[in-house]
Amino acid sequence: MNSLLGGIFLGWSLGANDAANVFGSAVSSRMVKFWTAAILAAVFVLIGALVAGQSGIKTLEGLTNFTINQAIIASVAAACTVTLMTLLGLPVSVSQAVVGAILGIGLLNRQVNFAGLEKVVLCWVGTPVGGLVLGIIVYKLLAATANGMNLNIFQSDITLRLCLIVAGSYGAYALGANNVANVTAVFVGAGMLNLSAATLIGGLSIGLGIFTFSKGVMETVGKKLVRLDPFSALVVVLAQAITVHIYALIGVPVSTSQALIGAILGVGIIKGVNTIRRRTLLHIFLAWFLTPFVACLFALSLDFATHLRYIPGQ
Amino acid sequence: MLKFLFRKEQQFQELITKYLDNLRRTQEHFEKAMDCYFDFGLGENCDFLIEQTHKFESRADDLRNEIEEMMYSKVLIPESRGDILRLLESIDLIPTHFETVLFMIQGQKLKVPDFITLDFRELMRLSLECCDLVIRQVEAYFKKSENIKPLVSTIDSLESRCDHIEREIVRKIFASDLNPFEKLQLKELVVQMGEISDQADRVSRSVHIINIKRRV
Repeated sequence: MNSLLGGIFLGWSLGANDAANVFGSAVSSRMVKFWTAAILAAVFVLIGALVAGQSGIKTLEGLTNFTINQAIIASVAAACTVTLMTLLGLPVSVSQAVVGAILGIGLLNRQVNFAGLEKVVLCWVGTPVGGLVLGIIVYKLLAATANGMNLNIFQSDITLRLCLIVAGSYGAYALGANNVANVTAVFVGAGMLNLSAATLIGGLSIGLGIFTFSKGVMETVGKKLVRLDPFSALVVVLAQAITVHIYALIGVPVSTSQALIGAILGVGIIKGVNTIRRRTLLHIFLAWFLTPFVACLFALSLDFATHLRYIPGQ
Repeated sequence: MLKFLFRKEQQFQELITKYLDNLRRTQEHFEKAMDCYFDFGLGENCDFLIEQTHKFESRADDLRNEIEEMMYSKVLIPESRGDILRLLESIDLIPTHFETVLFMIQGQKLKVPDFITLDFRELMRLSLECCDLVIRQVEAYFKKSENIKPLVSTIDSLESRCDHIEREIVRKIFASDLNPFEKLQLKELVVQMGEISDQADRVSRSVHIINIKRRV
């Protein structure tokens, strides 16, 4: 059980950070209460992990072979990378950190499944692009529907609130389905857990992160990125959830933050406004390139450190 | 079936309806008070109707406070709340103008001279027509019962006519033999009466903009 702590810690930090991507704008704008959002997010993350989280785990465990020690090193390296990037103020992707760490272990083992890696990297490129395209499509569709319905202010506000709850729950489901692999795939690769146990433990640890530490992040992330009107917030959450869900079906863990930023850019294109500052975009691209390399370096360094032996002076 | 979930919204909608009904009644009493003043001059009847108008104006304030309190108890999404609060503040100035006109006449014992009575009554009639339309427009906004846009242009053209009549009355006042003090008093009264249609026009534009803002 102790050896799983690194993974549980990673899951906890993922839940604390990424729940903000699905319910952040609704909670920070006081449209949904935090506890309503937290309960829904935790429940749907778990359902997503249990129902559709297995294919992502298969992809990641297939990238290389692990020993138990290496599995622990990979998850600790990923957690350290996430912490470092967060301290540097860069928007970090847990998925990229995990894959970078796995790659580091794979290099040590001299065994990397390049076909699998190619699929993963392609999906990374596709995440913000997918978010952007879906942001545009979802905006057009929802706007046409909303304008056609001719609802009064009360009806439209209630509908919007309900839709945000439904979209947030769907986003949480997609988050669980897609990102549970980041938390426990290495332990499946090392033979410590079977698939069902991995999805359960991963889902529960993400849920724990949501319950214990996501409130502050939800309240700040929704405001920090860009102030969206409630309708745009709904579009962004829905587009992001669909993007992440698609990658969950393909079986590649991707960054919910990158999908979200793509969707925000898409909404910006439709509305003809700059929804994200250039500096933020620069940070995103920087983090996009740095995260896997830093995680790989951490994994190599940690592995090196664990193999150091004290030789008394002769 | 889901009615119990939206009880607050239902109550809020009922309060808005009450507020608009109260606005109508304030307007009715203002009109009666003005007619009484023009037909019989200041007296007991007129004082009673002025008092009634004041009561309905105070009731409008109470209802507005109730609506504001309800809105802060999480009815409507935050973005809508700001719009509705600003709209109510703006509507609330209409009964205040009714009251101010009546208090000016009553407090300063004003006498509208015959040579402007017809114009003054026409200004009042058009201003009250603006108010009728604005109440209809606000109702239409909340209930989506009719298209708002045609009402905006009707109110706008009525307001322009009111402005024209207002200028004409002021011109007649200053061309008359009244003493300067009386002239200034009457001018103030006419401007105050003109404020009713100006305010109705402002409300109408706000409703129009809020409505456009909600389209996506």
